[in-house]
Amino acid sequence: MYRAVPLLLALTLTVFCQDPADPAALSDAAQEAARANRPAEAEELWKRALKAAPGYFPALFNLGYFHYSRREFEPAVPYLERALRVRATDFNTHYLLGACYQSLERREDALASWRRALGINPRASKLLQIMIVEYGRGRYFTEAAAAATQALELTPDDLNAFLLAIKANQDAGLYPVALEIAQRAVTKYPQSARARFEFGFHLQKVGRIDEALGELKLAGSLDPNYEEPHYFLGETLQQLGRSAEAIPSLQRALAIRTDYTPARLALARALIALKRLPEALSELTEAVRRDPSHPQPHLLLSQVYFRLGDEANARRERETSLRLRRENPTILEAVQGRQFPASPGPRK
Amino acid sequence: MTVAWGQGVSTQNAAAAPRSSDSGRPFVASFSNIASESGLTKRFTSGHETSKRFIIEANGSGVAMVDYDNDGRLDLFMVNGSRLDGFKGVAAPTNHLFRNSGGKLFEDVTKKAGLEQAGWGNGVAAGDIDNDGWTDLYVTYWGPNLLYRNRGDGTFEEIGVKSGTAGPAREWSSGATFIDYDRDGRLDLLVTSYLEFDPATTPLPGKSPNCEWKGMPVLCGPRGLPYGRVRLYHNLGNLQFEEVTARSGIGGLKGIYAFTPIAADLNGDGWTDLYIACDTTPSILLRNNQDGTFTDIGAEAGVAFSEHGFEQAGMGVGVGDFDQDGRLDLIKTNFSGDYPNLYRNSGDWVFEDVVIRAGLAVNPQYVAWGIGMADLDNDGLSDILQVNGHVYPEIDTASARSQESYRNPRLVYRNLGDGRFEDVSSKAGPGIAERQSSRGAAFGDIDNDGDIDVLVMNMGEAPSLLRNDLPPGSGHWVQVRLEGTRSNRSAIGAIVTIESGGRREMRTLLSQSSYISQNDLRLHFGLGKGDRIDRLRVTWPNGQTEDFRGAVVDTILHLVEGSGEARRQSSKR
Repeated sequence: MYRAVPLLLALTLTVFCQDPADPAALSDAAQEAARANRPAEAEELWKRALKAAPGYFPALFNLGYFHYSRREFEPAVPYLERALRVRATDFNTHYLLGACYQSLERREDALASWRRALGINPRASKLLQIMIVEYGRGRYFTEAAAAATQALELTPDDLNAFLLAIKANQDAGLYPVALEIAQRAVTKYPQSARARFEFGFHLQKVGRIDEALGELKLAGSLDPNYEEPHYFLGETLQQLGRSAEAIPSLQRALAIRTDYTPARLALARALIALKRLPEALSELTEAVRRDPSHPQPHLLLSQVYFRLGDEANARRERETSLRLRRENPTILEAVQGRQFPASPGPRK
Repeated sequence: MTVAWGQGVSTQNAAAAPRSSDSGRPFVASFSNIASESGLTKRFTSGHETSKRFIIEANGSGVAMVDYDNDGRLDLFMVNGSRLDGFKGVAAPTNHLFRNSGGKLFEDVTKKAGLEQAGWGNGVAAGDIDNDGWTDLYVTYWGPNLLYRNRGDGTFEEIGVKSGTAGPAREWSSGATFIDYDRDGRLDLLVTSYLEFDPATTPLPGKSPNCEWKGMPVLCGPRGLPYGRVRLYHNLGNLQFEEVTARSGIGGLKGIYAFTPIAADLNGDGWTDLYIACDTTPSILLRNNQDGTFTDIGAEAGVAFSEHGFEQAGMGVGVGDFDQDGRLDLIKTNFSGDYPNLYRNSGDWVFEDVVIRAGLAVNPQYVAWGIGMADLDNDGLSDILQVNGHVYPEIDTASARSQESYRNPRLVYRNLGDGRFEDVSSKAGPGIAERQSSRGAAFGDIDNDGDIDVLVMNMGEAPSLLRNDLPPGSGHWVQVRLEGTRSNRSAIGAIVTIESGGRREMRTLLSQSSYISQNDLRLHFGLGKGDRIDRLRVTWPNGQTEDFRGAVVDTILHLVEGSGEARRQSSKR
């Protein structure tokens, strides 16, 4: 109660010192108050500015931004929409309105706003990157791929732009395009293990298996701490029925990253295919220890126990797998539709 | 993370796997669609054709090739669907029976046969339930199912309720197979239901996270909708069945969207087992425990999920011994963005999905349904024919962002004999290249010329009747018609093994397979250059094995249990 008195006094003084008819002065004062972390006063001043001049753009935009920054997306929207009626070609307002819509889970509206922003500034590469991600989340894969191609043209020296474009085209099912971009990436960044990996991955996607295996091996050799090429090399060999060849690659991936569950599962599958059941059992037990909520080690364990004639344990593991699957339905990783990047952390 | 998030079906974003180089061998089978000239012009109905609000409109129906009048020619039965908003001023569509009059002509005898039944039909299974020598039909519905007893005079009597096999009034049954699971010589019945469907409570397109396809609002499900179930009926004789779902252990199956069941002895112990393709839930392998009960060992045996542990959108199932190792293998169709499964049977209930290395993962762009493992070119090896069609007609609209299309061509894979197949669709004739949104497919020899023809259900269109025209001088062949005496008379569940030309080929007599469809109850074997049969062995459904003398090639043989003598059957064309 007592602490509120000085704040109230400051607000009263500021408000009464402004020219009540000058929206610019009111808006400037609001800006000042916001900077000084006096949000209530700032909001009041912007509102007064709008009372004086309902179409005063800075006040409309700033009130929108004010609410956005406080994560009050719903009240931000009308101010930003009004601001655009005053100044339809303002890039920032379109961008911000899109961000508010996105936060309100109005993806279509967000993307429409951002498309308008992009129409005003076609070189806004950061916005393009945001749109690529949002198109992907909305499963607008073709649009994501087009935006990614555009972003790559704007920033041709950015490896990340290559990677985004590869992923967007992969999601769109445009594997030859993804491969072509990956090929350009390895030409530009021949020592990049990540670029090499993407090239190998997409060579495999279009069926050029022998070349893919070579690129994956090269990717693994370029970065001794990069586990993904080893895993994928092993996975590809395993898919081809070359289980014995797959095992060293998968073991290498696991030596780099011991908690790499997909690699351990692939190793277990290779061992099962070779009827090396005790070793498979050991790997799967380790997988369960490291990743107890993952259903797949339990499913494979049920198969190993079943093949060993232990139906009781097979059934127990199967039930555990089914329970975990229900509890965490998105934990499984589709190898061919892998998320991007599949391994944690940025990699050059 | 799976890419299936936010969609009603399970798919894996899989790209086409590499194709092997062309073997250069000619493929002599050529399929032409002769439906129109044969009088098969009735269109199938399955909801609205260009926009589907509910999943029941998307699944289509099965077809059957059966010789209902025992005249030696295969007749055609087609199950029809319906529409939720009815048919104002127009008669509702019905199922159809077409009698094979020879000379590629078919006569619509639906009314005469007493099969003029409207409603939302789904699957069909054939078998002789009363061992009277006449093939009976079971048809699944959204609503009570129908059991048609063949009176033997060209007409059928519907005894679903009377026999105790109709099921609940509002159940959506999808698949069904006859099976003599207890080896008492009478055909029992397994019925799958897809899901509990109520249009009043099912969300409309786009109204839940499971009602989208690649950003487009589409019909909801199956994910998010109440699960279906499986029922087993034991044949008591006297056209009476008793439901034994709980007692058999099958009642314990939960959380499934079940489609096509097949009944076959998968471990060679003389007792018929069951495999059920399930959509977006684990598929089921029911091991026959030889005591009237079954145990689901699908996950343990490796046939419930994809190799990476994903549920798949299982639709149809084919059965055969593609690698001629004396064990029955399975092939299951799935959704687009995923591969089929070719489950190689390694014995002792161990199955390995070898679809990629077999060369069958090269066309994941299609939603696949009906499938058959059959020797299409009579070279002595089991080939594969698959029919396709997307479930969302909306993907063909201009606003759709998908590169897929609703109508797709068929696929034919030739068995190369070394565990691999090659895609020969482009060489397999105009009937394969035709684009329809197909569902059910039945395999059999409609003109008794010794090769396999295919009947295909097409959504919103007339069926395709794909006549196979092998050139003169193609491989030898033989077909066998089995007649059980101690076993069930249809001999469903029997396994026939033929040794000829240094090869050994086995086939099992199935009730339902493919996608909720019924193949010819005669078994067809291509023999290649084998111009004589060295051994013909039948393992009857009761587990007894019998060798038959007097088997000759290029004909249809009638094998009666216990006779030991193969008799030639006249083959009318």
